[in-house]
Amino acid sequence: MEAGYPGTAANGAAADGNGGAQQAAAAPAIREQDRLMPIANVIRIMRRVLPAHAKISDDAKETIQECVSEYISFITGEANERCQREQRKTITAEDVLWAMSRLGFDDYVEPLGVYLHRYREFEGESRGVGVGVGAARGDHHHGHVGGMLKSRAQGSMVTHHDMQMHAAMYGGGAVPPPPHPPPHHHAFHQLMPPHHGQYAPPYDMYGGEHGMAAYYGGMYAPGSGGDGSGSSGSGGAGTPQTVNFEHQHPFGYK
Amino acid sequence: MEPSSQPQPAIGVVAGGSQVYPAYRPAATVPTAPAVIPAGSQPAPSFPANPDQLSAQHQLVYQQAQQFHQQLQQQQQRQLQQFWAERLVDIEQTTDFKNHSLPLARIKKIMKADEDVRMISAEAPVIFAKACEIFILELTLRSWMHTEENKRRTLQKNDIAAAITRTDMYDFLVDIVPRDDLKEEGVGLPRAGLPPLGVPADSYPYGYYVPQQQVPGAGIAYGGQQGHPGYLWQDPQEQQEEPPAEQQSD
Repeated sequence: MEAGYPGTAANGAAADGNGGAQQAAAAPAIREQDRLMPIANVIRIMRRVLPAHAKISDDAKETIQECVSEYISFITGEANERCQREQRKTITAEDVLWAMSRLGFDDYVEPLGVYLHRYREFEGESRGVGVGVGAARGDHHHGHVGGMLKSRAQGSMVTHHDMQMHAAMYGGGAVPPPPHPPPHHHAFHQLMPPHHGQYAPPYDMYGGEHGMAAYYGGMYAPGSGGDGSGSSGSGGAGTPQTVNFEHQHPFGYK
Repeated sequence: MEPSSQPQPAIGVVAGGSQVYPAYRPAATVPTAPAVIPAGSQPAPSFPANPDQLSAQHQLVYQQAQQFHQQLQQQQQRQLQQFWAERLVDIEQTTDFKNHSLPLARIKKIMKADEDVRMISAEAPVIFAKACEIFILELTLRSWMHTEENKRRTLQKNDIAAAITRTDMYDFLVDIVPRDDLKEEGVGLPRAGLPPLGVPADSYPYGYYVPQQQVPGAGIAYGGQQGHPGYLWQDPQEQQEEPPAEQQSD
């Protein structure tokens, strides 16, 4: 598989360089500051989901910082074990996604899969066009690895980017849904079937690239044995929240 | 979760015990509360008159607690649904793939802290940056739910501890929050009048009264009581394991 995937080799080489530099930099003991995410970034993200009048205590901010680092180590450990079992040296994005599904973060795999796909499109366009404008999207294909990925992705659906997004949104008829429904948050998923069905295609697009279908599907099928229980929230009279599902409809396609 | 599950039953019992009385006060049962307590201490002959009121009271309290619990769960479930829908919208609308909400170099350092980790592809930290963003958002949302349940506006460490306790997905984080916060979270539950603890609490008092009622009850009264206990016992059995044991003792 590695031989047939020059992109991986390129990434591996890049990672190798970074790894070397990282090892040199990591020679001294890891500083306390480097062990945590910057608190300003963490607070900014927290506020996005909190009401305007909400306040955050200092110990809560620090606790979230600790939780994030623990999360990265937790997922990385599982991803690395998989690499070692398969005698690979480089942790890939797919390894990270696999580890998440295995460790109970099934809900994360779908949105992150979409994100990874779009990121690769961005990388491909950026390299091919040779301009710094990331927002620019060319309809023509490129000869680079990114271009190859984009070409194949489009080939399996339609040529135009917007149409591709449109087809992806409505689960293109030719693409069957993924065979690994996440058991975690079962009740949660039952309550929102449109959510799951709409974004099935991105997974299959990956499966269709470089013969990763068997690799991807085979790996995810047995690894989806996460815990089935979801949140058991309850308590005093909570402030009733205005539910607004309009966010789901206005997708901004270009 | 086993270590934390052991103290929970005890806390639940204590919390449930203290919870019954607050449940009476806010409801219209306040005027009846004094009558109920003395009824327990009065001689047996007085029971035939009170059993009906007693069972009605408990049934009402139980139903209210159950409805409240369901409504709260549904509300929070809707919040989570909306949360995940918004995540997908955010990702679909992402146009800037160069600036990440969290520094990739820092993520790499944390990944490399594990000596077994050799090489990391360039895409892994990128995926982690987005994953950690979602992780922070979801953990904050679940923590804030607990803040709201306690009618506060400041998100505290014990709110995070509560979110960690309630969500299996966060089991790997139990060591980050001190036991004190976990216990404090447990103690905080009765103050907020949490229905899930109220469920076993409501069943306990009723379980205690049922055998007493049956013994002195008249034929007609016995028939009436038999209907009520059957109805009440069905729900607890579906949720708890202890009620069946009590039923067997009856």
